[in-house]
Amino acid sequence: METKVNNMQIDTRIVGDDAIKIAARDVQVYYGDTHAIKDVNVDILDKTVTAFIGPSGCGKSTFLRCLNRMNDTISIARIEGDIRIDGEDIYDRRVDPVQLRAKVGMVFQKPNPFPKSIYENVAYGPRIHGLARSKADLDVIVEQSLRRAALWDEVKDRLDAPGTGLSGGQQQRAVHRARGLQPATLEILLMDEPCSALDPIATAQVEELIDELRSNFSVVIVTHSMQQAARVSQKTAFFHLGHLVEFDETSKIFTNPEDPRTESYITGRIG
Amino acid sequence: MNTNEHIVSAFDRDLEGIQAMIMKMGGLVEDSINKSVLALDTRDPELADLVRKGDAAIDALETQVNEEAARILALRAPTASDLRTVLSVFRVSTNLERIGDYSKNIAKRSHAVIEQPPIDGATASLRRMAREVELMLKDVLDAYIQRDIGMAEDVRERDLEIDQIYSALFREYLTFMMEDPRSITACMHLHFMAKNIERMGDHVTSIAEQVVYLVSGTMPDDMRPKQDSLSKTDSK
Repeated sequence: METKVNNMQIDTRIVGDDAIKIAARDVQVYYGDTHAIKDVNVDILDKTVTAFIGPSGCGKSTFLRCLNRMNDTISIARIEGDIRIDGEDIYDRRVDPVQLRAKVGMVFQKPNPFPKSIYENVAYGPRIHGLARSKADLDVIVEQSLRRAALWDEVKDRLDAPGTGLSGGQQQRAVHRARGLQPATLEILLMDEPCSALDPIATAQVEELIDELRSNFSVVIVTHSMQQAARVSQKTAFFHLGHLVEFDETSKIFTNPEDPRTESYITGRIG
Repeated sequence: MNTNEHIVSAFDRDLEGIQAMIMKMGGLVEDSINKSVLALDTRDPELADLVRKGDAAIDALETQVNEEAARILALRAPTASDLRTVLSVFRVSTNLERIGDYSKNIAKRSHAVIEQPPIDGATASLRRMAREVELMLKDVLDAYIQRDIGMAEDVRERDLEIDQIYSALFREYLTFMMEDPRSITACMHLHFMAKNIERMGDHVTSIAEQVVYLVSGTMPDDMRPKQDSLSKTDSK
């Protein structure tokens, strides 16, 4: 979108809330002989929640993992095309994937607590990133994180119990301690099915957290719940058979999508 | 428009159900338009009473349609064309209910007209006007159920003719009243009836706009040219 002001061409997308955070061009992903992602072009905005929706196996999680090079760990995965974050090619040889992931964080579908106490699981991130100077500081951060994950009241009396003893839903909420362990460098948050094991109340609390995170981060969320995509995101991308079929304002996608495949999917006509 | 079936077939049955109610409502309303002017033209007070009493069934259907549409919104969270179907049902049922009210009003007034001496040709031209609106309603309901934008646009155009007939009738009644002041009571009532029928045409047009919205996702943006020169007070 170009606006002419005083004879100067200004690309309005790079100023204010519409700044492009992630720009993907002609992205292809192959798993061995399988062509999993085909010609994906998308601009993901800063301070915006972008939802990826589509049936299982459509490539939405694969594409999400490209954004912080998680696919590097899969030996048969091959990625072509161009993905830039703040204009910088993240697949450039000089980019350190570990540093990249400090900037582009990922919240996983399956919670992964360490075999340590609940307290230690939450305190780990802030401690290694040097966010707490004292035990008292750390206590405050742990409590804040657990409150943000809507878990404090449930676990405050058993912080020394093992993290693995939490229920699946509680573990998943515990991993939403994103704020607690967020390194100062974190700018983009990738979430893969963040609410798949949560009850409706905890889901609402996580969605509230996602909305809060939007004021500081670019958030990309993969979800099977179309209602969740509609509730939390401003932009929605529909993936089907490895293609990015349609990318638009969430309200447009859910009221009047352009592509008949999008229409079929969101109205519950194809699985 | 997506004609594939939903994976959850009960959703299809729900959407078909509310649209079937709209069609049933539309049938009752067509009938009430027809009978209200027939009662007037044939000076049949019993038929007029039948139209007045029949309006309750139309009102009851409107309530039923709205409750059912609200239930679908709450339970099925429809999106895209499904959402537009439910939204259009709310609007169309309101339009149909209003048209039914105008028929009822014509039926009520016909008693007063029947008490007066007949005016040659006055009620017959009113009946022709109502017949046009009735046909427009029939066509717009067909366009609705067939998702036919072309037919809906055609109905919108035809509302111009209704506006023109109204203007002509207005002048005709004015002439009658000037020629014979004893016809004033009857002509005033007839004029209100003509105005009622003209308003019916506007509601049919509004349904046609809903068809355009339902199929395309956007309301028609062009302003329909208004032909009703009588409502202008300046001399332009």
